[in-house]
Amino acid sequence: MELSKTRQQEQDSNPREKFIMAARRHKILSNKCSRCGHLMLVTVYYCEKCFNHKFEINELEGTGKVVTYTIQAVAPEGFEDAGSYAWVVFSVDGTDFNASGFLPGVTSASDLPLGSRVRVLDYHPKHGLTLQKV
Amino acid sequence: MPNKVCVLGAGSTKYGKLNEGIIEIALKASIDAIDSAGITPKDIQAGYISNVFGVTDRQVHMAPVIMSNLGVPEVPGLTIESACGSGSIMFREAYANVAAGFYDCILGLGVEKITHTGTIQSTTLFSYCSDFFYEGGNGASFPGLFASIARSYMAKYKASEEDLARVAVKNHENGILNPKAHVRKKITIDDVLKSPVVASPLKLYDCCPFSDGASAIILCSEDFAKKSGRPFIEVIGSGRGASPAAVQGRDDITTIPSTVAAANQAYKMAGITAKDIDFAEVHDCFTIAELIDIEDLGFFKKGAGANAVREGATSRDGEIPINPSGGLKSKGHPIGATGIGQVVEVFEQLTGKAEQRTVRDAEVALTHNFGATGASAAVHIFKRVQ
Repeated sequence: MELSKTRQQEQDSNPREKFIMAARRHKILSNKCSRCGHLMLVTVYYCEKCFNHKFEINELEGTGKVVTYTIQAVAPEGFEDAGSYAWVVFSVDGTDFNASGFLPGVTSASDLPLGSRVRVLDYHPKHGLTLQKV
Repeated sequence: MPNKVCVLGAGSTKYGKLNEGIIEIALKASIDAIDSAGITPKDIQAGYISNVFGVTDRQVHMAPVIMSNLGVPEVPGLTIESACGSGSIMFREAYANVAAGFYDCILGLGVEKITHTGTIQSTTLFSYCSDFFYEGGNGASFPGLFASIARSYMAKYKASEEDLARVAVKNHENGILNPKAHVRKKITIDDVLKSPVVASPLKLYDCCPFSDGASAIILCSEDFAKKSGRPFIEVIGSGRGASPAAVQGRDDITTIPSTVAAANQAYKMAGITAKDIDFAEVHDCFTIAELIDIEDLGFFKKGAGANAVREGATSRDGEIPINPSGGLKSKGHPIGATGIGQVVEVFEQLTGKAEQRTVRDAEVALTHNFGATGASAAVHIFKRVQ
C-alpha cells in the first residue's frame, strides 16, 4: 500500500521530480515517443526527433558505461565533505543517450578506466545522482 | 543586406583583482572607448551591457546606472547574460541593431567583478552556468566539466598533458607583452605539469584565472565612422550557435557544435574561409578549449590541434596566431567582459595600437567566445579599413 502511494506521487510529479524518485529506486527514467519511438531522458519535454510531446514512461535499469569523467580536487560548495569523488558521464544501457552523476571514492584515474561499469545508487539531497562502480 | 557596421573606438581596464567597485570599473572602460572613438556620450543612442554576477557587488539593472553616470540618463540600455559568452553575444545583438538601422552609435560594455567572492564561492557561482540539474548539482565545477572534455579528447586523439600545457605556455608568452593582462608571467611545460590538480587531468595552469575587469567598444554605422575621420574596423561576419546545454547531451564530446555553427555563419557572411583569417582571439578558458576551438573554427583538422601548437603554428609569428593578447588564460577572464575584450584586442591590432604584441601584416581577424561548455557561442570577423 505504501509503495503504491509513493509510485502515485511519482506519477503526479514534474519530470525532474520523477527522475529523482526513480533514481532513489536505482533506475533511470526515460520517455519513449509515442509517435516515433525515440527514447530520451524524462526531463526532455518534446521528442528530439519529431517534436511530439506524448510519451510512454520507460523505466531503465540505472546501469551504464563510463564515457568520460573528472576527479574534482577543488569542489564547489556542498561537496566539501564528499571526499575524493568523480563527476561521471555514462552511456545508459539500452539507449543512445548519456546521463551524468556523482561517484564517490575515486582517487586516481586507475580507479576508473574509461568503459568501466556504473549503476545508479541513489539521489542524494546534497550530491545529486549518486553512482557506484559495478 | 544589412547595413555595414564598424568599431570606431575601444577601451579596457586592466584585468585582474581590482579594488574598485563594478560601476567604477565599467565607467573607466566606457570613458576609454568614448575617448578612443573621439565622440561624446551625447552621440551614444543605446547602451548594451554584458554582465553575469553583478548581484555579488550589489548592482543589477546596470545600464541605467552606467548611462546616468555618463551624463546621458535618457539613453536606453539593457543587460545581456550568456555566462562566459555574454560579451560576444551582447556584441552580436548590438551589431544586429546597427545593421538593421535602429541605431547609428552604440556603447557596448562588458564588465565583471568576481574576485571579492573568493575561490570556492566563485567556483560555485560559475557552476550555476552549467545545466545545474545534471552538472553543478552532481558536483561538477567548470574546470571539472572541461576536464571531462579533455579526458575524452585525449583518449580519442592520443593527446597528452604536455600538449595541453603547450597552449598555456604559448598564451603566457603573449600575455607578458600585454600591459592589461591579469597573469603576466612566463611559464614552462614543467610548471604547468607540476601545478596543483584542480580537476584531473586539468591543473592550475591549464585554467584561466577568475578576473575582474571591463572592456568597451563604440559600434556604429559606416557613415558615422567615416564622418569621424578616425581609424576604424569593419565587422564583415557575424554568427551565433547553440549546443546541448549539458555535456552529456552531445553526440561527440570533443567538438563544440555552437562554435562550428557560428563560425560557418560568420565565414559565409564574410565570403571567406578559415584560411583567410590572419589571427584569432579564441575562448581558451582552459587549455583543452583552445585545442578544440582551433579545430572547430576550421584552422586545423579534428585531432590536429595539439600537433599544430607543438609545431608553433599558433604562436604570434606562426601560420595562424591564436590569442596574441594572451587569451583568457593569461590576459584573464572577467566573464561579462571577455567577449568585448577580444574585440578590443582586434581593434588595437588592426588600427596599429597593439605595440609589442602586433601580429604583422594582419588585415582580417576573428573573435570566438562561448558561454558555459559552449552551450552558446558567437563568432565575429573583422577587417582593417584603409
